[in-house]
Amino acid sequence: MEETDQSSSAAPPPFEPMVEDAYSIETVVHITQTPRHQIAVYCRHGLIAPVTAPEREGWWFDQEAIRELRRIESLRHHYGMNLAALRVCVELYREVERLREEVRALRHS
Amino acid sequence: MPVEFKDYYATLGVTRDASDDDIKKAFRKLARQYHPDVARDKKTAEERFKEINEANEVLSDPVKRRKYDELGAHWQEDGRTPSPPGSEGRRPQAPNDWQAREFHFTGTGFSDFFEQFFGGGRGFGFEPDGPDSAAESHAAGRPGADIEGEILVTLDEVMHGTTRAISLRNLNPRTGQAETHSFQVRIPAGAIEGRRIRVPGKGEPGGGGARAGDLYLRVRYAAHPDFRVRGADLYHDVDLAPWEAVLGTTVVAPSFEGAIKVHLPPATQPGAQLRVRGHGLPKGRGGERGDLYVVANIQVPPRLTAKERALWEELSRTSQFNPREPL
Repeated sequence: MEETDQSSSAAPPPFEPMVEDAYSIETVVHITQTPRHQIAVYCRHGLIAPVTAPEREGWWFDQEAIRELRRIESLRHHYGMNLAALRVCVELYREVERLREEVRALRHS
Repeated sequence: MPVEFKDYYATLGVTRDASDDDIKKAFRKLARQYHPDVARDKKTAEERFKEINEANEVLSDPVKRRKYDELGAHWQEDGRTPSPPGSEGRRPQAPNDWQAREFHFTGTGFSDFFEQFFGGGRGFGFEPDGPDSAAESHAAGRPGADIEGEILVTLDEVMHGTTRAISLRNLNPRTGQAETHSFQVRIPAGAIEGRRIRVPGKGEPGGGGARAGDLYLRVRYAAHPDFRVRGADLYHDVDLAPWEAVLGTTVVAPSFEGAIKVHLPPATQPGAQLRVRGHGLPKGRGGERGDLYVVANIQVPPRLTAKERALWEELSRTSQFNPREPL
Protein backbone atom coordinates (compact mmCIF):
# COMPACT_ATOMS: atom_id res chain seq x y z
CA MET A 1 0.00 0.00 0.00
CA GLU A 2 2.97 2.31 0.59
CA GLU A 3 3.36 4.77 -2.26
CA THR A 4 6.46 6.77 -2.91
CA ASP A 5 6.36 9.95 -4.89
CA GLN A 6 9.58 10.04 -6.92
CA SER A 7 9.17 13.69 -7.77
CA SER A 8 8.69 14.84 -4.19
CA SER A 9 12.37 14.44 -3.22
CA ALA A 10 13.41 17.17 -5.66
CA ALA A 11 10.35 19.41 -5.29
CA PRO A 12 10.44 22.30 -2.82
CA PRO A 13 8.45 21.77 0.37
CA PRO A 14 4.82 22.83 -0.02
CA PHE A 15 3.88 26.31 1.13
CA GLU A 16 2.28 26.34 4.55
CA PRO A 17 -0.29 29.15 4.80
CA MET A 18 -1.30 30.89 7.99
CA VAL A 19 -4.33 29.10 9.40
CA GLU A 20 -6.82 30.14 12.05
CA ASP A 21 -10.04 28.63 13.29
CA ALA A 22 -13.21 29.85 11.61
CA TYR A 23 -16.64 29.76 13.21
CA SER A 24 -20.00 29.53 11.52
CA ILE A 25 -22.66 32.04 12.53
CA GLU A 26 -24.50 29.24 14.37
CA THR A 27 -21.41 28.62 16.49
CA VAL A 28 -20.97 32.35 17.14
CA VAL A 29 -24.62 32.58 18.23
CA HIS A 30 -24.02 29.66 20.58
CA ILE A 31 -20.80 30.88 22.17
CA THR A 32 -21.70 34.58 22.49
CA GLN A 33 -25.44 34.14 23.12
CA THR A 34 -26.05 36.92 20.59
CA PRO A 35 -29.05 36.48 18.27
CA ARG A 36 -28.28 35.84 14.64
CA HIS A 37 -30.09 38.93 13.37
CA GLN A 38 -28.16 41.09 15.85
CA ILE A 39 -24.87 39.77 14.46
CA ALA A 40 -26.12 40.54 10.94
CA VAL A 41 -26.99 44.11 12.02
CA TYR A 42 -23.48 44.62 13.47
CA CYS A 43 -22.00 43.33 10.21
CA ARG A 44 -24.18 45.63 8.14
CA HIS A 45 -22.98 48.62 10.19
CA GLY A 46 -19.33 47.58 9.87
CA LEU A 47 -18.87 46.89 13.60
CA ILE A 48 -17.68 43.35 12.97
CA ALA A 49 -16.72 41.65 9.71
CA PRO A 50 -17.13 38.08 8.54
CA VAL A 51 -14.06 36.27 7.21
CA THR A 52 -15.41 35.87 3.68
CA ALA A 53 -18.17 37.37 1.55
CA PRO A 54 -21.40 36.01 3.10
CA GLU A 55 -23.39 36.08 -0.15
CA ARG A 56 -20.90 33.71 -1.78
CA GLU A 57 -19.55 31.55 1.02
CA GLY A 58 -21.87 31.96 3.98
CA TRP A 59 -21.30 33.61 7.32
CA TRP A 60 -17.93 32.73 8.88
CA PHE A 61 -16.11 34.57 11.63
CA ASP A 62 -12.68 34.42 13.23
CA GLN A 63 -11.63 34.83 16.86
CA GLU A 64 -11.01 38.55 16.41
CA ALA A 65 -14.63 39.03 15.29
CA ILE A 66 -15.87 37.09 18.32
CA ARG A 67 -13.75 39.26 20.65
CA GLU A 68 -15.13 42.37 18.98
CA LEU A 69 -18.69 41.06 19.22
CA ARG A 70 -18.32 40.38 22.96
CA ARG A 71 -16.99 43.88 23.51
CA ILE A 72 -19.88 45.46 21.56
CA GLU A 73 -22.49 43.41 23.41
CA SER A 74 -20.93 44.36 26.72
CA LEU A 75 -21.05 48.08 25.83
CA ARG A 76 -24.64 47.78 24.72
CA HIS A 77 -25.77 45.93 27.86
CA HIS A 78 -23.84 47.94 30.45
CA TYR A 79 -24.13 51.41 28.98
CA GLY A 80 -27.23 51.15 26.79
CA MET A 81 -25.33 52.37 23.73
CA ASN A 82 -27.10 52.69 20.40
CA LEU A 83 -25.49 51.76 17.08
CA ALA A 84 -24.04 55.23 16.47
CA ALA A 85 -22.40 55.28 19.90
CA LEU A 86 -21.15 51.73 19.42
CA ARG A 87 -19.55 52.70 16.14
CA VAL A 88 -17.69 55.62 17.77
CA CYS A 89 -16.51 53.32 20.56
CA VAL A 90 -15.37 50.59 18.18
CA GLU A 91 -13.47 53.10 16.05
CA LEU A 92 -11.80 54.52 19.16
CA TYR A 93 -10.84 51.04 20.35
CA ARG A 94 -9.33 50.29 16.95
CA GLU A 95 -7.42 53.57 16.95
CA VAL A 96 -6.08 52.86 20.44
CA GLU A 97 -5.00 49.37 19.30
CA ARG A 98 -3.29 50.81 16.24
CA LEU A 99 -1.44 53.42 18.34
CA ARG A 100 -0.38 50.78 20.88
CA GLU A 101 1.05 48.70 18.02
CA GLU A 102 2.93 51.73 16.77
CA VAL A 103 4.33 52.50 20.23
CA ARG A 104 5.44 48.86 20.62
CA ALA A 105 7.15 48.95 17.24
CA LEU A 106 8.93 52.23 18.04
CA ARG A 107 10.13 50.93 21.41
CA HIS A 108 11.64 47.86 19.75
CA SER A 109 13.33 49.77 16.92
CA MET B 1 -30.28 -15.77 -4.17
CA PRO B 2 -31.83 -13.14 -6.51
CA VAL B 3 -30.73 -9.59 -6.10
CA GLU B 4 -32.60 -6.40 -6.85
CA PHE B 5 -31.38 -4.34 -9.80
CA LYS B 6 -30.07 -0.90 -8.80
CA ASP B 7 -30.62 2.01 -11.15
CA TYR B 8 -27.51 4.00 -10.33
CA TYR B 9 -28.33 6.72 -12.87
CA ALA B 10 -31.65 7.37 -11.13
CA THR B 11 -29.89 7.35 -7.74
CA LEU B 12 -27.63 10.20 -8.84
CA GLY B 13 -30.41 11.86 -10.84
CA VAL B 14 -28.43 11.90 -14.09
CA THR B 15 -29.21 10.62 -17.57
CA ARG B 16 -27.49 7.56 -19.03
CA ASP B 17 -25.39 9.74 -21.34
CA ALA B 18 -24.21 11.98 -18.49
CA SER B 19 -20.56 13.04 -18.71
CA ASP B 20 -18.00 12.21 -15.99
CA ASP B 21 -18.20 15.82 -14.89
CA ASP B 22 -22.01 15.65 -14.59
CA ILE B 23 -21.68 12.53 -12.44
CA LYS B 24 -19.04 14.13 -10.25
CA LYS B 25 -21.18 17.23 -9.76
CA ALA B 26 -24.33 15.21 -9.04
CA PHE B 27 -22.47 13.09 -6.48
CA ARG B 28 -20.95 16.10 -4.72
CA LYS B 29 -24.32 17.83 -4.54
CA LEU B 30 -26.07 14.81 -3.06
CA ALA B 31 -23.16 13.89 -0.81
CA ARG B 32 -23.21 17.37 0.73
CA GLN B 33 -26.80 16.69 1.68
CA TYR B 34 -26.56 13.08 2.78
CA HIS B 35 -22.95 12.26 3.76
CA PRO B 36 -23.02 11.04 7.39
CA ASP B 37 -20.03 13.28 8.22
CA VAL B 38 -21.88 16.44 7.17
CA ALA B 39 -25.63 15.69 7.25
CA ARG B 40 -27.67 17.11 10.10
CA ASP B 41 -29.90 14.05 10.42
CA LYS B 42 -27.23 11.33 10.30
CA LYS B 43 -29.59 8.37 10.79
CA THR B 44 -31.85 9.15 7.84
CA ALA B 45 -28.96 10.29 5.70
CA GLU B 46 -26.87 7.15 6.18
CA GLU B 47 -28.97 4.76 4.13
CA ARG B 48 -29.43 7.27 1.33
CA PHE B 49 -25.72 8.03 1.30
CA LYS B 50 -24.80 4.36 0.91
CA GLU B 51 -26.88 4.25 -2.29
CA ILE B 52 -25.32 7.49 -3.55
CA ASN B 53 -21.79 6.32 -2.77
CA GLU B 54 -22.38 2.98 -4.45
CA ALA B 55 -23.80 4.65 -7.57
CA ASN B 56 -20.80 7.00 -7.69
CA GLU B 57 -18.40 4.10 -7.14
CA VAL B 58 -19.71 2.41 -10.27
CA LEU B 59 -20.50 5.36 -12.53
CA SER B 60 -17.31 7.32 -11.83
CA ASP B 61 -15.15 4.36 -12.84
CA PRO B 62 -15.16 3.95 -16.67
CA VAL B 63 -14.60 0.18 -16.49
CA LYS B 64 -17.33 -0.41 -13.91
CA ARG B 65 -19.67 1.95 -15.73
CA ARG B 66 -19.22 0.06 -18.99
CA LYS B 67 -19.93 -3.25 -17.22
CA TYR B 68 -22.94 -1.71 -15.56
CA ASP B 69 -24.31 -0.40 -18.87
CA GLU B 70 -23.88 -3.86 -20.45
CA LEU B 71 -25.54 -5.44 -17.44
CA GLY B 72 -28.47 -3.02 -17.60
CA ALA B 73 -29.15 -4.01 -21.21
CA HIS B 74 -29.32 -7.72 -20.36
CA TRP B 75 -30.78 -7.53 -16.89
CA GLN B 76 -32.64 -10.76 -16.06
CA GLU B 77 -32.99 -11.83 -19.67
CA ASP B 78 -35.07 -15.04 -19.83
CA GLY B 79 -35.91 -14.50 -16.18
CA ARG B 80 -32.42 -15.51 -15.01
CA THR B 81 -30.01 -13.46 -12.98
CA PRO B 82 -26.92 -12.93 -15.13
CA SER B 83 -23.39 -13.72 -14.04
CA PRO B 84 -21.32 -10.84 -12.83
CA PRO B 85 -19.82 -9.17 -15.93
CA GLY B 86 -16.32 -10.42 -16.61
CA SER B 87 -16.75 -13.44 -14.34
CA GLU B 88 -17.64 -15.96 -16.99
CA GLY B 89 -15.94 -19.28 -16.39
CA ARG B 90 -14.63 -18.26 -12.99
CA ARG B 91 -16.93 -20.53 -11.01
CA PRO B 92 -16.63 -24.12 -12.05
CA GLN B 93 -19.06 -25.47 -9.45
CA ALA B 94 -22.55 -26.62 -10.30
CA PRO B 95 -25.24 -23.98 -9.74
CA ASN B 96 -26.56 -25.67 -6.60
CA ASP B 97 -23.13 -25.85 -5.04
CA TRP B 98 -22.51 -22.21 -5.98
CA GLN B 99 -25.73 -21.25 -4.25
CA ALA B 100 -24.78 -23.27 -1.19
CA ARG B 101 -21.52 -21.38 -0.87
CA GLU B 102 -23.01 -17.92 -1.29
CA PHE B 103 -22.73 -15.36 1.50
CA HIS B 104 -24.54 -12.08 1.96
CA PHE B 105 -23.40 -9.26 4.16
CA THR B 106 -25.44 -6.51 5.64
CA GLY B 107 -23.93 -3.62 7.54
CA THR B 108 -20.86 -3.32 5.31
CA GLY B 109 -22.28 -0.38 3.40
CA PHE B 110 -22.67 -2.16 0.03
CA SER B 111 -25.83 -3.66 -1.43
CA ASP B 112 -26.10 -7.30 -2.52
CA PHE B 113 -26.31 -6.02 -6.09
CA PHE B 114 -22.97 -4.24 -5.77
CA GLU B 115 -21.34 -7.14 -3.94
CA GLN B 116 -22.40 -9.55 -6.64
CA PHE B 117 -21.58 -7.55 -9.75
CA PHE B 118 -18.84 -5.14 -8.77
CA GLY B 119 -17.33 -6.72 -5.69
CA GLY B 120 -14.82 -8.78 -7.72
CA GLY B 121 -15.70 -12.02 -5.91
CA ARG B 122 -16.01 -10.41 -2.50
CA GLY B 123 -18.68 -11.73 -0.24
CA PHE B 124 -18.18 -15.31 -1.33
CA GLY B 125 -16.27 -18.15 0.25
CA PHE B 126 -12.66 -18.58 -0.78
CA GLU B 127 -11.39 -22.09 -1.37
CA PRO B 128 -8.39 -22.80 0.83
CA ASP B 129 -6.71 -25.15 -1.66
CA GLY B 130 -8.34 -24.48 -4.98
CA PRO B 131 -11.86 -25.10 -6.24
CA ASP B 132 -11.73 -28.89 -6.10
CA SER B 133 -11.34 -28.95 -2.36
CA ALA B 134 -14.59 -27.09 -1.78
CA ALA B 135 -16.87 -30.08 -1.86
CA GLU B 136 -14.62 -32.04 0.50
CA SER B 137 -14.17 -29.35 3.11
CA HIS B 138 -17.43 -30.03 4.94
CA ALA B 139 -16.99 -33.75 5.17
CA ALA B 140 -13.37 -34.47 5.86
CA GLY B 141 -12.74 -32.55 9.08
CA ARG B 142 -11.10 -29.69 7.24
CA PRO B 143 -11.08 -26.12 8.50
CA GLY B 144 -13.64 -23.79 6.96
CA ALA B 145 -12.66 -21.41 4.19
CA ASP B 146 -11.97 -17.75 4.84
CA ILE B 147 -14.47 -15.20 3.62
CA GLU B 148 -13.51 -11.78 2.38
CA GLY B 149 -15.69 -8.76 1.95
CA GLU B 150 -15.45 -5.01 1.88
CA ILE B 151 -16.58 -2.59 4.51
CA LEU B 152 -17.44 0.99 3.65
CA VAL B 153 -16.25 3.49 6.23
CA THR B 154 -16.64 7.24 6.32
CA LEU B 155 -13.67 9.50 6.99
CA ASP B 156 -15.25 10.49 10.28
CA GLU B 157 -15.17 6.83 11.30
CA VAL B 158 -11.52 6.64 10.21
CA MET B 159 -10.79 9.70 12.35
CA HIS B 160 -12.31 8.36 15.52
CA GLY B 161 -12.66 4.62 15.01
CA THR B 162 -16.01 2.90 15.28
CA THR B 163 -17.81 -0.35 15.96
CA ARG B 164 -20.08 -1.71 13.26
CA ALA B 165 -22.82 -4.34 13.44
CA ILE B 166 -22.36 -6.87 10.63
CA SER B 167 -24.76 -9.63 9.65
CA LEU B 168 -23.53 -12.50 7.59
CA ARG B 169 -26.19 -14.68 5.98
CA ASN B 170 -25.31 -17.95 4.36
CA LEU B 171 -26.89 -21.27 3.47
CA ASN B 172 -25.79 -24.13 5.66
CA PRO B 173 -24.62 -26.84 3.23
CA ARG B 174 -25.72 -29.62 5.61
CA THR B 175 -29.19 -28.42 6.49
CA GLY B 176 -29.87 -26.26 3.43
CA GLN B 177 -31.25 -23.60 5.81
CA ALA B 178 -30.32 -19.92 5.68
CA GLU B 179 -28.41 -18.86 8.77
CA THR B 180 -27.68 -15.34 9.92
CA HIS B 181 -24.73 -14.54 12.16
CA SER B 182 -24.61 -11.08 13.67
CA PHE B 183 -21.54 -9.67 15.36
CA GLN B 184 -19.69 -6.45 16.03
CA VAL B 185 -16.58 -5.40 14.17
CA ARG B 186 -14.30 -2.73 15.54
CA ILE B 187 -12.80 -0.40 12.94
CA PRO B 188 -9.74 1.18 14.55
CA ALA B 189 -9.01 4.89 14.13
CA GLY B 190 -6.58 5.45 11.28
CA ALA B 191 -7.56 2.27 9.40
CA ILE B 192 -6.02 2.89 5.99
CA GLU B 193 -7.85 2.06 2.80
CA GLY B 194 -7.24 -1.51 1.70
CA ARG B 195 -6.41 -2.69 5.22
CA ARG B 196 -7.93 -6.07 6.01
CA ILE B 197 -9.63 -6.45 9.35
CA ARG B 198 -9.64 -10.06 10.52
CA VAL B 199 -12.63 -11.40 12.41
CA PRO B 200 -11.54 -14.82 13.68
CA GLY B 201 -13.93 -17.73 13.35
CA LYS B 202 -16.56 -15.85 11.34
CA GLY B 203 -15.72 -17.50 8.02
CA GLU B 204 -17.17 -20.67 6.61
CA PRO B 205 -17.89 -23.40 9.22
CA GLY B 206 -15.32 -26.21 9.36
CA GLY B 207 -16.26 -29.78 8.45
CA GLY B 208 -16.19 -32.63 10.95
CA GLY B 209 -15.61 -30.44 13.98
CA ALA B 210 -12.69 -28.52 12.49
CA ARG B 211 -12.35 -24.81 13.14
CA ALA B 212 -14.28 -22.24 11.13
CA GLY B 213 -12.48 -19.96 8.69
CA ASP B 214 -11.93 -16.28 9.31
CA LEU B 215 -13.75 -13.28 7.94
CA TYR B 216 -11.61 -10.57 6.39
CA LEU B 217 -13.14 -7.16 5.82
CA ARG B 218 -11.21 -4.86 3.53
CA VAL B 219 -11.59 -1.18 4.40
CA ARG B 220 -12.98 1.03 1.65
CA TYR B 221 -13.39 4.76 2.19
CA ALA B 222 -16.71 6.31 1.26
CA ALA B 223 -16.17 9.18 -1.14
CA HIS B 224 -16.39 12.49 0.72
CA PRO B 225 -17.90 15.65 -0.80
CA ASP B 226 -15.09 17.85 0.51
CA PHE B 227 -11.97 15.70 0.62
CA ARG B 228 -9.92 13.37 -1.52
CA VAL B 229 -7.68 10.99 0.36
CA ARG B 230 -4.14 9.88 -0.35
CA GLY B 231 -2.62 7.81 2.42
CA ALA B 232 -3.26 9.79 5.59
CA ASP B 233 -3.35 13.12 3.73
CA LEU B 234 -6.55 14.91 2.78
CA TYR B 235 -6.94 17.13 -0.27
CA HIS B 236 -9.54 19.87 -0.46
CA ASP B 237 -10.11 21.72 -3.75
CA VAL B 238 -10.89 25.37 -3.37
CA ASP B 239 -12.20 27.38 -6.31
CA LEU B 240 -10.59 30.79 -6.72
CA ALA B 241 -11.37 33.75 -8.95
CA PRO B 242 -8.33 34.81 -11.03
CA TRP B 243 -7.92 38.04 -9.03
CA GLU B 244 -8.03 36.10 -5.75
CA ALA B 245 -5.18 33.91 -7.00
CA VAL B 246 -3.20 36.96 -8.11
CA LEU B 247 -3.79 39.19 -5.09
CA GLY B 248 -4.10 36.51 -2.41
CA THR B 249 -7.24 35.90 -0.38
CA THR B 250 -8.69 34.25 2.66
CA VAL B 251 -10.85 31.17 2.29
CA VAL B 252 -12.71 29.01 4.75
CA ALA B 253 -11.86 25.35 4.35
CA PRO B 254 -13.43 22.39 6.14
CA SER B 255 -11.37 20.17 8.42
CA PHE B 256 -12.22 17.49 10.96
CA GLU B 257 -11.41 19.98 13.74
CA GLY B 258 -13.99 22.41 12.36
CA ALA B 259 -13.69 25.06 9.69
CA ILE B 260 -10.37 26.84 9.27
CA LYS B 261 -9.52 30.23 7.84
CA VAL B 262 -6.68 29.82 5.35
CA HIS B 263 -4.68 32.79 4.06
CA LEU B 264 -3.70 32.13 0.47
CA PRO B 265 -0.66 34.14 -0.60
CA PRO B 266 -0.54 36.46 -3.63
CA ALA B 267 0.45 34.74 -6.92
CA THR B 268 -1.13 31.40 -5.97
CA GLN B 269 -0.64 29.19 -9.02
CA PRO B 270 -3.29 26.83 -10.45
CA GLY B 271 -3.02 23.44 -8.74
CA ALA B 272 -0.85 24.87 -5.92
CA GLN B 273 -1.05 22.66 -2.84
CA LEU B 274 -0.92 24.50 0.45
CA ARG B 275 -0.17 22.28 3.38
CA VAL B 276 -1.97 22.56 6.68
CA ARG B 277 0.06 20.32 8.94
CA GLY B 278 -1.56 17.74 11.15
CA HIS B 279 -5.11 18.18 9.87
CA GLY B 280 -5.23 14.89 7.94
CA LEU B 281 -6.24 11.40 9.00
CA PRO B 282 -4.60 9.55 11.90
CA LYS B 283 -1.51 7.50 11.06
CA GLY B 284 -1.99 4.31 13.01
CA ARG B 285 -1.97 4.33 16.81
CA GLY B 286 0.84 6.78 17.53
CA GLY B 287 -1.38 9.88 17.49
CA GLU B 288 0.46 11.21 14.44
CA ARG B 289 -1.73 12.79 11.77
CA GLY B 290 -1.41 13.30 8.05
CA ASP B 291 -1.74 16.76 6.49
CA LEU B 292 -4.55 18.62 4.82
CA TYR B 293 -3.71 20.10 1.44
CA VAL B 294 -5.75 23.02 0.14
CA VAL B 295 -5.53 22.81 -3.64
CA ALA B 296 -6.04 26.00 -5.66
CA ASN B 297 -8.47 25.51 -8.50
CA ILE B 298 -8.63 28.75 -10.48
CA GLN B 299 -11.92 29.39 -12.24
CA VAL B 300 -12.29 31.73 -15.18
CA PRO B 301 -15.58 33.68 -15.33
CA PRO B 302 -17.70 32.13 -18.10
CA ARG B 303 -19.51 35.41 -18.84
CA LEU B 304 -18.51 39.06 -18.47
CA THR B 305 -20.46 42.23 -18.10
CA ALA B 306 -19.45 45.13 -20.34
CA LYS B 307 -17.71 46.81 -17.41
CA GLU B 308 -15.82 43.65 -16.49
CA ARG B 309 -14.72 43.18 -20.09
CA ALA B 310 -13.46 46.77 -20.19
CA LEU B 311 -11.46 46.20 -17.01
CA TRP B 312 -9.91 42.96 -18.28
CA GLU B 313 -9.03 44.70 -21.55
CA GLU B 314 -7.40 47.52 -19.65
CA LEU B 315 -5.46 44.97 -17.61
CA SER B 316 -4.32 43.19 -20.77
CA ARG B 317 -2.95 46.48 -22.11
CA THR B 318 -1.26 47.41 -18.85
CA SER B 319 0.12 44.08 -17.65
CA GLN B 320 3.74 43.09 -18.36
CA PHE B 321 2.97 39.43 -17.69
CA ASN B 322 3.72 37.04 -20.54
CA PRO B 323 2.87 33.41 -19.78
CA ARG B 324 4.55 32.28 -23.05
CA GLU B 325 7.87 33.98 -22.65
CA PRO B 326 10.41 32.62 -25.18
CA LEU B 327 12.74 30.03 -23.67
